[in-house]
Amino acid sequence: MLIDREVSGQLQHKLDKITLDESIVKAKAALLNDIKRSIYLYRVDCGGCNGCEIEIFSTITPIYDTERFGIKNTPSPRHADIMVYTGSMTRLMRLPAIRAYQGAPDPKIVVSYGSCGCTGGIFHDNYCVWGGTDNLFDVDVYIPGCPPSPPQTIYGFAMALGLLGQKLKHTEITEVPGEQVPIRFETIPYKVRTALERKARLLSGYRSGKDLSDEFMTALALGGTDVFAGIDALIAAQDDPRKKEVLGELKAELKTQLASQEL
Amino acid sequence: MTADTRRWNTEKGSTVLKTIKEVLRVGDATVKYPFAPIERPRDARGKPEHDSVKCFACSACANACPPNAIQTSLDLTAGTKSWSINYGRCVFCGRCEEVCPVDAIRLSPEFELAVMKKEDLEEICTYSLQRCSECGEFFAPTKAVDYAKRVLAQSNTLNDDVSLALDSINLCMSCKQKQDAHRYWEQSRRAGELLC
Repeated sequence: MLIDREVSGQLQHKLDKITLDESIVKAKAALLNDIKRSIYLYRVDCGGCNGCEIEIFSTITPIYDTERFGIKNTPSPRHADIMVYTGSMTRLMRLPAIRAYQGAPDPKIVVSYGSCGCTGGIFHDNYCVWGGTDNLFDVDVYIPGCPPSPPQTIYGFAMALGLLGQKLKHTEITEVPGEQVPIRFETIPYKVRTALERKARLLSGYRSGKDLSDEFMTALALGGTDVFAGIDALIAAQDDPRKKEVLGELKAELKTQLASQEL
Repeated sequence: MTADTRRWNTEKGSTVLKTIKEVLRVGDATVKYPFAPIERPRDARGKPEHDSVKCFACSACANACPPNAIQTSLDLTAGTKSWSINYGRCVFCGRCEEVCPVDAIRLSPEFELAVMKKEDLEEICTYSLQRCSECGEFFAPTKAVDYAKRVLAQSNTLNDDVSLALDSINLCMSCKQKQDAHRYWEQSRRAGELLC
């Protein structure tokens, strides 16, 4: 049978969302379109792991320096133009979150920061988690990332301030009839290919192992009559001794595979 | 102006000059981003790029995904299987890349993922399901069956196992079991005849 995975949502409590006045919505839209002053930022951690806070503080260091755009971290929501909510909305932090929201003067921009702030993230099915910030407030900017790196954060604010455009769009793709999945390295027997891939992953992890086995098999597929000549040339061309060793191991594995195929 | 003040002034002036020289020598540490593109390491963990052509909707990534950012769902009336990813829930761990058997998903260094609307964080791909040639029920994605068929045909040693698998490739699991049981029954009957 096919596995159909359902994420249970029955433990999630549904909250009443805070609705905005029409005049405030208009003022907010005007503010988002054209901010002509420095913007002050207040950060609320609703129940995350503090990774997002660490990244926010590295965003205000001299390397990434958000203060050159006038973005300044403020210790009180009374001074804030932007409310940054990090962490998933937990049951216990909902009241402080609402109090901070009500403490900030209108119009204010609400930013969901990090995977947890956007959707609840990895804690989304926890018993005390009510999902993302958008369950409580109208969110203007979502900055995903776990945690969002300083450039990601700067991109989020730059997008909110209209400096950069939005890149990600909602996409829906439907399979074209007759579409085929390409078989990788078709000339290499399936069993040999999987054995080489497994060996490479075992030696240097799934990512660089895959890169190395791909390099190895490209050389193997191009080899023609003398299989080992191309591989030897590849091994000789490596500067990194670790890569050299892994490729040498792959060559040994290929030899054993060929021997077992002939039997 | 006393001699002391004059000396203090010249010293101060030279210190300021030194500082300016030092600042010019060190240069500006702040990155130019967002006004200029920023350099990212080749293996930086960013947006998982999904190639819908290479994917055959096996759900390995959906099973591995720790925060359930990748999910698959079946629609047995329409005969489709949909694969979806929510970048707002992704934790960029790379488990999907690790388990993918056909390299259809890979983390790219792309980091500009912020959006104004929540719907923009989602990507949905829809794949068709194949009916069992015996009982007519949907049993697997069409592309998965096609891929298995071609991989089996590609193996140069066409032994009994491979040809048996190729025979029953268009059957659902229960029809395959029935076929196996039938084959076993035939075999044992023949063995019994030989014994007699």
